[in-house]
Amino acid sequence: MKIKTVLFALLFVALLAGNASAQGLTVDIHGPGQRKVNLVMLPPRGLSAAAVPGMAKNFEELVRTDLRFMPFLNLMPASAVPGGDPSKGVTAEDINFRPLQLARIDLTMTTGWDGNRLEARVYETFSGRRVVGKAYDDLTDAALPDVADRFCSLLMEALTGKKGFFTSPIAFVRRVGEAKELFTVLPQGRALTQITSLGGFNLGPDWSKDGNQIVFTHLNQERHSLGVWDRRTGEARLYREGLGNTVISPAFTPEGDIAVTLNKTGSADIYMLDKGFRPKGTIASSGFIDVSPAFDSTGRNMAFTSGRFGGPQIFVLNRDTGEVKRVTFVGGYNTSPTLSPDSRYVVFARQTPNGHRIFIIELATGQERQISFGPGNDEDPAFGPEGYYVAFSSNRNGQYRIYLTTRHGDEPILVPTGPGDATSPAWNTAAGGE
Amino acid sequence: MKTKGWVLVILCLVLALGAASGCSKKRASSMPPGATGSDAAVRDHDWASGKGSGYGEDGLTEEQRLARQREKAMSELGQRIQFGFDSYELNQEARGILQQKADVMKSTSGVRLVIEGHCDDRGTEEYNLALGERRARAAYEFLVLLGVSPERLSIVSFGEERPLVKGENETAWAQNRRDEFRAAY
Repeated sequence: MKIKTVLFALLFVALLAGNASAQGLTVDIHGPGQRKVNLVMLPPRGLSAAAVPGMAKNFEELVRTDLRFMPFLNLMPASAVPGGDPSKGVTAEDINFRPLQLARIDLTMTTGWDGNRLEARVYETFSGRRVVGKAYDDLTDAALPDVADRFCSLLMEALTGKKGFFTSPIAFVRRVGEAKELFTVLPQGRALTQITSLGGFNLGPDWSKDGNQIVFTHLNQERHSLGVWDRRTGEARLYREGLGNTVISPAFTPEGDIAVTLNKTGSADIYMLDKGFRPKGTIASSGFIDVSPAFDSTGRNMAFTSGRFGGPQIFVLNRDTGEVKRVTFVGGYNTSPTLSPDSRYVVFARQTPNGHRIFIIELATGQERQISFGPGNDEDPAFGPEGYYVAFSSNRNGQYRIYLTTRHGDEPILVPTGPGDATSPAWNTAAGGE
Repeated sequence: MKTKGWVLVILCLVLALGAASGCSKKRASSMPPGATGSDAAVRDHDWASGKGSGYGEDGLTEEQRLARQREKAMSELGQRIQFGFDSYELNQEARGILQQKADVMKSTSGVRLVIEGHCDDRGTEEYNLALGERRARAAYEFLVLLGVSPERLSIVSFGEERPLVKGENETAWAQNRRDEFRAAY
């Protein structure tokens, strides 16, 4: 009886262990802190005796640039492997993982080329398990950036369970002469596109959940208008009727409705608009300033800024119960909230004696943490589709630029946006999720 | 010493008189082009009546007088008002300036006023757009209270988009926290 029990227990443990190794290496980006994972890229190889083409080097550089955006990855030089390149080919059976394990390398990437066909793989060195493996045919130089982004997105998804980062554009405001126009760009700086040429000031963009539309404020000499840009037509339309002269911080709910600050009765309140872009009624009003609505992925929670108790503070409205909860109690000027898609966190800008800084609050506990450290002003935070990255604008180097950090406050990375001040990043979260 | 002082005072008076006569000369020469001195003399009688010739007591045509009045009204209407940090409260000085504007608006028909609210760049964009709106509205409501018809007023907030002066210091910030007034006939 006793032996049977011991055997059963041993079997159970063995099963558990098997399960754990099948799950493989993952990175818990939502954990309290995150571990660093070491990755090495082995030199590109020719497949079936083919020579390595010139674009192999370009591809390696593109992947290297993308991997810089994964703060939990530590890119090791190939020289860190004792004894040099431990591979004879690009698949697991041709790689000697021992020296990689000795060098504490967790992940190994191989690329094999046969003319313009590419095979790219990432292996876990401890188990030899393939984390990602993809082949791409008929490659051209022009297609390389897209392929690098797609491959890195898959790697990101395999490690973190989150997808969409490298392929989700950020909308932002850029100064063009005297005007401010809207642009979109991928986080790693590719596909930079000017999407409005309306003149005046075009401010505060926000994406619809399906990524097909962007709402914004258009400001000319006389008044504000509601701007709606459509990805499918590439056109921006302006709406004024019934909105009054003040149209601030429009934002989409996940259902495709628009919340926006208007002044219909003498104070700046947040209204919901109907499908014809006319006000239906208020969703937040206090007789003071209520501005900057931002929704989670369910649309049931809305964060916003309100001056109802004097200086601006962050509040969250539960749209089911109507309960409004104040979430910031430190500092006299807290603005620009964004909810994480899962509604666990709100990020916002706080004015400190040294300028604005980005802070994050866990809503369940009220625990607060500073995630940007200047210098200058760090403003307009926006969550990425995975709720991990946070884009913000900062003039830390003199001019306003867009930067990316993470929920954990990792070293900010500059998003290349071309000349002219760049502000108000807003992330397209359509491709996001588990 | 005392005598010297008196001489100085008299000298000043003479100079001042000279300057005054210089001014009146200047005014005479500011007649419309084409109007000669002798013409002005012939029309001496008309000046008293203030009719017929179209010249007023100040030697200006009705049109010119109106233009001057307008200019004066515009300059009074254009005077800015200032605000404290993160505030849309009208201070005593602002109320005085708005009172003047209300008087001008009521005595000058046909003028419309666009009130622009502006902020310094220390706040954040969206909140500043709302704050600029409250600043413009504060002036709007005060003018309406003083009897200016709301139909003649409109407001627009520029937030921090149009600073009056550039600079990261209190003087610049204070100047940028303002309402501007654009008058148009």
